[in-house]
Amino acid sequence: MIELRDHTLVFRFPEVHPRASCQISFQRTLRIPDDNQSYPLPAGLGRFLLHHVDDYYPRLPPSWEQHGGVFLPMYQSEALWVDLSFNFFDDYPCAVKVATGKINAVSGEPWGNGLIAAPQDYLVITSQRWLDGYAVGQGLIRQFVAMPLGAGFSAEEQLTGAAVHGGLQLVVYPMKCERFEELEAQRKAARDLEVSYSYVPGAFIKIKPEQATEMALSPGGLMRQQIERDPYGLAAWDQSAGSRCFVHLVDSRTYAGITGQAPPHPPLTAEDYAQAKMPWFEYYDERNHAVPGAAKLAGLDSVAATYIKKGGMLPDNKSVVPDRVINLNHSAKVREGQF
Amino acid sequence: MFADYVKEKREALRVGNRHYTLRQVAARVGIEPSYLSKIEHGEFAPPAEDKIRLLAAELNEDPDVLLAMAGKVSKDLQAIIRARPRLFADLIRQLKDLPDDALLRVVRVVRDGDW
Repeated sequence: MIELRDHTLVFRFPEVHPRASCQISFQRTLRIPDDNQSYPLPAGLGRFLLHHVDDYYPRLPPSWEQHGGVFLPMYQSEALWVDLSFNFFDDYPCAVKVATGKINAVSGEPWGNGLIAAPQDYLVITSQRWLDGYAVGQGLIRQFVAMPLGAGFSAEEQLTGAAVHGGLQLVVYPMKCERFEELEAQRKAARDLEVSYSYVPGAFIKIKPEQATEMALSPGGLMRQQIERDPYGLAAWDQSAGSRCFVHLVDSRTYAGITGQAPPHPPLTAEDYAQAKMPWFEYYDERNHAVPGAAKLAGLDSVAATYIKKGGMLPDNKSVVPDRVINLNHSAKVREGQF
Repeated sequence: MFADYVKEKREALRVGNRHYTLRQVAARVGIEPSYLSKIEHGEFAPPAEDKIRLLAAELNEDPDVLLAMAGKVSKDLQAIIRARPRLFADLIRQLKDLPDDALLRVVRVVRDGDW
């Protein structure tokens, strides 16, 4: 079952284990320059607002009622990262599949509910904490950037030639109960040997349904981020107990029309970010192996490249030099938060 | 049922408190004593929702319970159902046989659909 609490999707599987749960939210973030250089991780700039589709049904496109789920507002060219977290006290591993426009963001393959081990098409909470984009190479992603559905930028449109689904799709599977109990026994033994935790503070940082402008996630700039290989193996996951959610994306004007609420403030540009001396983050876990990235996704045109093909230029796309990079490798993985 | 219940509750309160005579309760609710008397004897139908709410407050009763005994559903609930009649009709029918403790555990979930 999935609850919406404080703009966070809370997945719980009480039928599997009392502690089986995880949380997924969506962080606003800097759109990194789309210039084929690779950048570190930008900070989270606050959660995207999430609303139940059912609360606004008469003002939404009919297909949204069929899909169910939630929706969130995004500006054109705004970036997003998926924040994968778990209850600190429960610490229950879950497998998560993420797709945009029903294209798997890790494998580039069309959506399927089940998990595939080779090539791995899912993420593992608790080892993976964030997903910022499409896995295009080992340790490299192309950032999730919102562009209007139907404009030809999205991964879905580039791979299928059609703008049908849009949005972002999730399915979460908890670890099997018996596997978790084994893991807990191992963790307990390890905890008995543990000395202390280190902690490094990071940057805590009325419309008609037919007029709704849907956004579609598209591949943006390159970022250094590993997609961690599943350390538990496919057999660890209880695929009989999955929970799915369709996250619809609307542009900010549509959002105001649907909800009657002001949209969030416009996103920062890379120049704003640099001027504010906001930090970047590097995270590389040498203890884990990274998934190599999908050739299908690597072959996609980035938003800037698509603009050029269309005879235009992506606005606010100046290259920047990250000058304050915080290394998270040996610290608590604090990245999100409010400034 | 509504008539007997209101009369029993008011009479029970009157035993320990002389401010619960028919006349005094009627005055506080804003109706004629004869009208309240006829309601308590089942000669008149239960009053309008606003009067039932006032009566519930006087008798320390839950207004939704008293409204239900009067065969009524409060206006706010009607508005909720009218906004999404198919969903709530389906929901209420599905939940009707759940025991109370199970109903109390029902939380709002993010609905998955067909995609």
